[in-house]
Amino acid sequence: MSCDLRVRIGPLELANPVGVASGTFGYGAEYEELVDLDALGAIYTKAVTKAPRPGNAVPRIVETPAGMLNSIGLANPGLEAFVDRKLPELRKLRAAVFVNVAGSSEDEYLEVVERIEAAAGPWAQPGSGAARSGVDGYEINVSCPNVRHGGLAFGTDPAQVERLTAAIRARTARALVVKLTPNVADVSPIARAAETGGADAVSLINTLVGMVIDVRRRRPALAMGTGGLSGPAVRPVGVACVHKAARAVKIPVIGLGGITCADDALQYLLAGASAVQVGTGTFVDPRTAAEVLAGVQAWMEAQGVARVEDIRGMLLA
Amino acid sequence: MRQFQARIIANRPVAEAWRELVLEWEAEPPEPGQFLTLRVSPRLDPLLRRPFAFSGFSPADPAGGAPATASAVYQVRGSATALLAEIAPGNFLDAIGPLGKPFPLPAAGETALLAGGGIGLGPVLFLARRLRALAAAGQGSPEPRLLLGFRNAASLPELDLPEGSLLCTDDGSAGFRGTPTAKLAADAALAELGHRARLYACGPAAMLAGLAALAKERGWRASLSAEQWMACGVGACMGCALPRADGQGYLRACADGPVFEGGEIDWAAEAARAAPPVKAGAAPRPAQGPAGAGPGKERT
Repeated sequence: MSCDLRVRIGPLELANPVGVASGTFGYGAEYEELVDLDALGAIYTKAVTKAPRPGNAVPRIVETPAGMLNSIGLANPGLEAFVDRKLPELRKLRAAVFVNVAGSSEDEYLEVVERIEAAAGPWAQPGSGAARSGVDGYEINVSCPNVRHGGLAFGTDPAQVERLTAAIRARTARALVVKLTPNVADVSPIARAAETGGADAVSLINTLVGMVIDVRRRRPALAMGTGGLSGPAVRPVGVACVHKAARAVKIPVIGLGGITCADDALQYLLAGASAVQVGTGTFVDPRTAAEVLAGVQAWMEAQGVARVEDIRGMLLA
Repeated sequence: MRQFQARIIANRPVAEAWRELVLEWEAEPPEPGQFLTLRVSPRLDPLLRRPFAFSGFSPADPAGGAPATASAVYQVRGSATALLAEIAPGNFLDAIGPLGKPFPLPAAGETALLAGGGIGLGPVLFLARRLRALAAAGQGSPEPRLLLGFRNAASLPELDLPEGSLLCTDDGSAGFRGTPTAKLAADAALAELGHRARLYACGPAAMLAGLAALAKERGWRASLSAEQWMACGVGACMGCALPRADGQGYLRACADGPVFEGGEIDWAAEAARAAPPVKAGAAPRPAQGPAGAGPGKERT
């Protein structure tokens, strides 16, 4: 039996449901010697901001039980360098590319999207034979816990999420995903705000705010004090958030948080996700996304499931 | 770089809490200064791969059937290296390498000064052997000078150190009493060399800070190997950043380094960050890092 692995996100059809998460995969080229980039369902780029960002003071990462804490601070070369240097590289990729966009004000998000729209030119479905534009969609980051302005301040307020989403929607016909934070009492109103604003999908979870203290030095382990927790330790939180969001909206939900194997991804798909992203799991083993996809396919064959999009209706009770 | 299952040839103690790991090496030959990452356990805790600087490489011997091998000297100082120390030869480890930028070789006629501090001796030994082989073949530079710093005579490792290595100990229980930096600073003949000398070093940040300052004063070019915690090891995550000396942001230890030119990194800031804990009620002590295994640092 051949499985149908395709997933639809707004106008975009992904070849398969397993992508690699923003901030963990650079712009793709960093992993090209280790990973078959063409086999990925989607690549979500490192966040792009209007101005270059050097990133936060060091140390920026620390390992935690079955996880890690990071406070990178959206380090990136900025919009113009992205357009000049990264976009031409992204055009070489066959996999769908979501450009992750961050900003400290609504205007900054809009400026980034407008500039990339103008530079990328018209969009065509990946695999259609048309020239690749380098950008198949946007993932709007309203959930970074490691920057002072923007980030979480947007992502925890439904009114702001709806307004920002609608403003970006008015500027692009490409697939539009809003990335949500788990650092709220309930993800449902935020997910609904993104849907009302015109998003094609929501992705969650971004990292959980966490802290590690070096007791010998009596200092936080990270220079910024707190950071974002990721890795297998957060997976049950992510699955619960996806389960909730999927029941709050009709648009697709993209699940991420702690996926290191096919069973982890299947938990997200059964919870209601249409697609998943592998993040920290790639650091542990760059082959993780490929192994997750192979394992999902094997599970579908064993269970007699023809279409990957059917999995989200299969959860019992 | 390649990811492959590397067979362990040896994993033996060479000093208290120091071990030498020898792997059958199936990827391209590593250069001195480069590193590999290992997943020390298939479990999820400890989670991240660990970086290890190469301390040597032997190409395959087709006549005798011996495979190519690569080695690394590491310190057991956290949960991951404790697990690694328990893995017997014959087992396999998930390896990625070679990674990072190697030491640039000295220009013709340049005198190479090599300094290793503590567990930072690995990449310096690898470079020393490479330069000696080149010198023996009549290529490139004069014989390199190698200085290795240790706490005391009891901490000297059972390793095959190149002939003519100058040992330094903090307490004078073996060799020169003091650090490699102090020994280099005291040598008037070296001061005369100016730009005809090139310094290579790996060790704790405080040592690199001192050596960067000395190299600047003497007019030596300097290539210093850094250590920093890493997540991806391939340049994607920006986690292993080091502060640039010019204040213009950060460089990545994994992909921009781990070998940097002396003036590139704010080593003093790194040394201050790595300083030992301050006792309650005590004034902060001057920066003095623990013996480091550049690149990468094991959590404790």
